[in-house]
Amino acid sequence: MKALRAARDLWIVYVSTIAGVLRRGGARGELVRQLHAIGNKSVLFIVVTLGFIGMVMAYEACSQLSRITGDYSQIGGQFIRLIVSDFGPTLTALMLATRVGAGIAAEIGSMKVTEQIDALRMSGVQPIDYLIVPRFIASVIMTLLLSVIGGLVMFGAGGLTAEHSFGVNPEIFYDFTQVRPRHLILMCIKALAYGAAIPIVAGFCGLRARGSSEGVGWATTAAVIGGSFAVIVLDFIISAAALFVTGGDL
Amino acid sequence: MTAYLEFKGVEKAFSGKAVLKGMNLAVTKGEVMFIIGTSGVGKSVTIKHLIGLLRIDAGEIWFDGQRVDKLPERKLAALRKRIGMVFQSSTLFDSMTLAENVALPLRKHQRLGWDASLDQARVRLAQVYMAEYADRYPAELSDGMRKRAAIARTLALEPDVVLFDEPTTGLDPVSARRIDRLIRELADKLGVTAIVVSHDPPSIFGIADRVAFLYRGVVHVVATPAELRASSDPIVQQFIRGQSSGPMETPGF
Repeated sequence: MKALRAARDLWIVYVSTIAGVLRRGGARGELVRQLHAIGNKSVLFIVVTLGFIGMVMAYEACSQLSRITGDYSQIGGQFIRLIVSDFGPTLTALMLATRVGAGIAAEIGSMKVTEQIDALRMSGVQPIDYLIVPRFIASVIMTLLLSVIGGLVMFGAGGLTAEHSFGVNPEIFYDFTQVRPRHLILMCIKALAYGAAIPIVAGFCGLRARGSSEGVGWATTAAVIGGSFAVIVLDFIISAAALFVTGGDL
Repeated sequence: MTAYLEFKGVEKAFSGKAVLKGMNLAVTKGEVMFIIGTSGVGKSVTIKHLIGLLRIDAGEIWFDGQRVDKLPERKLAALRKRIGMVFQSSTLFDSMTLAENVALPLRKHQRLGWDASLDQARVRLAQVYMAEYADRYPAELSDGMRKRAAIARTLALEPDVVLFDEPTTGLDPVSARRIDRLIRELADKLGVTAIVVSHDPPSIFGIADRVAFLYRGVVHVVATPAELRASSDPIVQQFIRGQSSGPMETPGF
């Protein structure tokens, strides 16, 4: 019963957020603040983490190839195809689920336990409009942008690793010809879906915080787990749908 | 005298644990009614039901001839213009100055523009002697100052009723008595009805018109402060004397 109630409440938060976006419920100043908080302040985190992941993945791929065929001509093309269609947006979103999701849940959760959410309602403000709608819009926009940045950094770092560790010619590695429009569309769909899911889950967890600091801690942990889980599940669903739609030609 | 605000057989439980068990209370217009009782007895829960921040499980709540416990969220905005609440922890928004905090309900409820709402906010802050701090942020102020600013925010909408949730808790005695004086002035000069949740004896016996003593989920006694002092009820006497031993059941002790 508790799980059903939670699912219903999550759905209500989602529908209320979409309704808030449609009627432009959020304050413009708050949106700008959230674009900065979610986007600009995450750039370094995303660049560093995806850069390292790109290096490790390229190294592992080259290492395996060197044992089998030693032919590196396809590695760059396949690597960027994989980054665009999956790893770029998914790994970016997983990183954002920790940094942004935790921040949203902690902020809203502490407002909940200190009765500031009730004070907002008393002031005639819909808490979802004021707190979640600007974060939702900012997250959708910035997850897409950061996915592009993160993907490019991942590819760039992978190419450098392949060149320095295995002598792969950069002109061969940096091959974008394998990327088709359907991969770009898939990246956009995934980034938008992840960007929508992270603030909804985090906001929902924050609004469910009870008690005092322990409740905020619970909300923060739940937001990170729930956000990451949502990203993984959405990745599976969207990828499966893409395979179905393209008849396996992805 | 007819009741301006009335709780009729109100019941509320959290996770199966009953807090209010058929509570009845009537408040007349313009009076300062204190709700007292031990921690966890349901005082704050009681007043939050009035403005739809919590929903009752059973019973009825009436305000000015209208039943309000069944109102949907979208209709509560009008009620919340008439019944304001000062929360226990002030609940000012950290990212806003005091003036912006006070201006927020004016912008949302009264649809005032940004500049007009800020001008109004400064007037309201002056009424609680906080005009010179209008451009400061809550974190820069003491608890007493934050509490006064929170009162200014609540009064900005000129409510008919103000609910105070432990307004003097955590304040030094001087600040606490100033808050008391402010509540009393609201009732005497503006005719505002005040419902004050408190267990601060100087406040209770200093400014209350009547006191409702909540015990075991119901109103155990409603009396004037003088009647309460003179009460022969051992439970009432234990509470107002703050005695650790006696007939009163205090969960957790």
